[in-house]
Amino acid sequence: MDRRKFLRQLGLLTGAGTVSLTLGNVPVRAFAKPLFNASAVNGKVLVLVQLSGGNDGLNTVVPFADSNYHNARPGIRIRENDVLRISNNLGLHPSLQPFKNLYDDGELVIVQNVGYPNPDRSHFRSTDIWLSASDSNEYIEDGWIGRFLAKAFPEPENFNPNHPMAIQIGASQSMLLQCTCQGQMGISFENPNQFYQLINGSTADNDPPPNTLAGEQLRYIKQIAAQSIQYAQIIKDAADNVENKVQYPNTSLGRQLAIVAELIAGGLETPVYLTSVGGFDTHSNQSNSHANLLQNLSGSISAFMEDLKLLGAANRVVLMTFSEFGRRVEQNGSGGTDHGTAAPLFVIGKNVKGGVVGSNPNLEDLDNNGDLKYEFDFRQIYATLLQDQLGMSADKMNEVLLGNFETLPIIDVKHATSGGPVSFSLYQNYPNPFNPATQIRYELRIPQYIRLVVYDPTGAEVVTLDQGWKQAGSYTVTFGNGRYPSGVYYCRLISGSYKQTIKMVLLK
Amino acid sequence: MTGLQKISDWDEKAVIHILSRTILGYTQQDIDFALSLTPDDFIDNYLLADKPEPTPPFWVYDSSSDNATERTRELTYWWYNLMIRQGYSFREKMVLFWHNHFVSEIDKVGLPQRMYWQNKLFRDYAFGNVKELTKKVTIDPAMLIYLDGDKNRRGAPNENYARELMELFTLGIGNYTETDIQEAARALTGWRVDGVTSYFQENRFDNGIKTIFGESGNFGYEDVVDIIFRQPACAPFICRELYKEFIYHVPDENFVNQLADILRQNDYELKPVLSALLKSTYFHSEEIRGSKIKSPVEFVVQVMRQFNVNTPDYNFMRQTAEQLDQKLFDPPNVSGWDGDKRWINTTTLPARNVFTDSIVEGEKPNGSDLTFHIDLVEFARTFPEPENAAALVNDIAKIFIQFPLSEKRIEYLLETLLDGAEVYDWSTFDPQAEKRLKLFFKTLMRLSEYQLS
Repeated sequence: MDRRKFLRQLGLLTGAGTVSLTLGNVPVRAFAKPLFNASAVNGKVLVLVQLSGGNDGLNTVVPFADSNYHNARPGIRIRENDVLRISNNLGLHPSLQPFKNLYDDGELVIVQNVGYPNPDRSHFRSTDIWLSASDSNEYIEDGWIGRFLAKAFPEPENFNPNHPMAIQIGASQSMLLQCTCQGQMGISFENPNQFYQLINGSTADNDPPPNTLAGEQLRYIKQIAAQSIQYAQIIKDAADNVENKVQYPNTSLGRQLAIVAELIAGGLETPVYLTSVGGFDTHSNQSNSHANLLQNLSGSISAFMEDLKLLGAANRVVLMTFSEFGRRVEQNGSGGTDHGTAAPLFVIGKNVKGGVVGSNPNLEDLDNNGDLKYEFDFRQIYATLLQDQLGMSADKMNEVLLGNFETLPIIDVKHATSGGPVSFSLYQNYPNPFNPATQIRYELRIPQYIRLVVYDPTGAEVVTLDQGWKQAGSYTVTFGNGRYPSGVYYCRLISGSYKQTIKMVLLK
Repeated sequence: MTGLQKISDWDEKAVIHILSRTILGYTQQDIDFALSLTPDDFIDNYLLADKPEPTPPFWVYDSSSDNATERTRELTYWWYNLMIRQGYSFREKMVLFWHNHFVSEIDKVGLPQRMYWQNKLFRDYAFGNVKELTKKVTIDPAMLIYLDGDKNRRGAPNENYARELMELFTLGIGNYTETDIQEAARALTGWRVDGVTSYFQENRFDNGIKTIFGESGNFGYEDVVDIIFRQPACAPFICRELYKEFIYHVPDENFVNQLADILRQNDYELKPVLSALLKSTYFHSEEIRGSKIKSPVEFVVQVMRQFNVNTPDYNFMRQTAEQLDQKLFDPPNVSGWDGDKRWINTTTLPARNVFTDSIVEGEKPNGSDLTFHIDLVEFARTFPEPENAAALVNDIAKIFIQFPLSEKRIEYLLETLLDGAEVYDWSTFDPQAEKRLKLFFKTLMRLSEYQLS
């Protein structure tokens, strides 16, 4: 099939060919976001699943031994016989069997009673609070992930592959990925192929917008144009690199996570992904709808985890679910629940500690509205993920979260480091001494992000020989070819905080 | 009150700005017509004109759930048709505004018939009294279902509508308490839906004393709305929404409060506010021009009107707007579409370009023909000086782009039109003219500036 026909079948090519816009032959990158060095997070990935509408926490993680629970919800309670027991007083909703399996394997952590002081019961305000990591009475216009990315990758580095800093699967772009300092830190698309085809034929322009309100709008549109052009190819390549190894539920969330798995395993170095699923605003007749929502949620996420294992990327990924609030303890008059406050959330991955963090919800000590009081501030979970998953230092973390939040025992830190000293080897170069060139071999026993760099004896970097996310295997690169003066050189393989160095001698 | 001073210059620039913010696409003829009148005459008697009620689809009276998907589409095409043929009245833009303000989603509402009746309500009150509209919306069948008002009954309150009424429709967050919501929910009890109509069922109504914003009584839904509209936050809240729709996405509280005074003085009648807004020096200030990002529906409608296409491909318009994240009758959630920068992302911006390319080519991305064809050569000849390339580029740009284009941009557009030829060689009678115009229009509408109005 020729390319044109192929594009047509995808339904994405305009009739008589696309128009190409080049303004002054300026390269597309002129408006690109700063590039970055993915080794800052050591190849680690955070996947967020946003449950929009306010998930009913009490019917998700059920305190089945508490009579207050049954009394408050005579019509919609989950019966003791139906729960999937994880202890003698706590159980999961019967639709969460896939989560139960992950829990039993120690790959799922339940964090209980997550909320914040002075909870807001508006969907929109509370969503903004969660996305911006603000206090309840504080209005912040950017997202905690946006600020994290700006801190973690502050300076552009020339050598880096141009991977997006964050990806949202879906058509709109969340506040989560924005930073007021640098604008839109992430990009969004529904699927890589469609994204690639849409971009076909576009190029960016470099006319500087005027310094007006309209000019500010125009600058944003141009930034988006440049990002879409820059990343379309690289994302399609990553998605084409590997194929999903498991069947996902045929739901929007299932499809979103299938794409994320391919992009992570396919070599994209993007550290943060955002996916979302709606429908949790269960004001009426919630029993069936909530069961379906949870089935989709747990089925999609467990497929994702299984897929990552088979694709060899599970060690790098942690997933967190979140929702703007839980729901009222007492059911309402319509077989549903109204907006509430604190609720449990899930942190899932091969490297989590497993178990339950926190205590059962206290159904006797409610606030004036009959809502739960929180035990953990949601920003404690963010702090934990930033520090223990994404490797951020405490002082930078405080700047991202606009305050100091104590971390929780969620991530198993000793297993979390993928680039440990036993996971790679750098062998002595051959020949050595050499003239004009020599071969350097290294071996990776697990997939990881590496840099292979040559230094001179003063410590100055001579050349980066290799870098990027690599699958397990043996690699050989060449150094030399007469471009360098005689002398001693050091070659260093770097993976995260681990290094191995060899000494080489060039004798002309 | 400086911002509300009436503009003194009624020139082409003022007319272009006012048209681009109200009627979803305009032509050279529209500019000429507006300039032939006084601003008062044009704004009050044409832009703000009430128009006869359009004939609805025949099925809106029954309450059968047959063909709901097809009927929703039909209703969408029906509405698009009204937008295309709106004339000078911007009533349909206001209907769209209310649809995005008093939000309901077809998925939960169920019957497209109910969405029609809600749409009609928005049309009846497009420029009407906001307080009265809010009362009607409160017992509108679609809204009763969407925000669970029909489930709200004595002894078993459901707060859903009461909360959104205050938070999203009238006052804004921070201007009410949880108690106000709970008490208002009690006063809103008793309303139910039967098919496409709503009715009051006495024995479901909470007949007790409620206290809302400090006022006590055995209130019903009209009292709730009256009490809310007596709160000082109400008029500014509504004017803030108008400001965001017509001026810029970040409200200027000073000007919002000036508009709110007018709204209050006129007991929530909208026309005096809109009239003052559109005539104000504030609205016509240089800063505001070209600073609004077009919504998908505006985008697909205005292309058609710019090219004078009276019978467009409604199916393609609908599909495109949906791809661009705006499906009529199906806003994403109760707060509606976020708008502004949220419309533009790495998926939707390229998709907008693909759409305008298709319009120029007369062919959809999948290779099939559109239901209409634009004769670009004939279209070029509707401008005053079609044989003068530089004038033609300037005149066309006036219709398509509101952002002040730089010299360099105009030059680039001229080069694209000429496609290597000399300026004096340009002629619409040249065999290459159509090809050149195609490339020119595709380029023009791919400019980032084209996304702004």
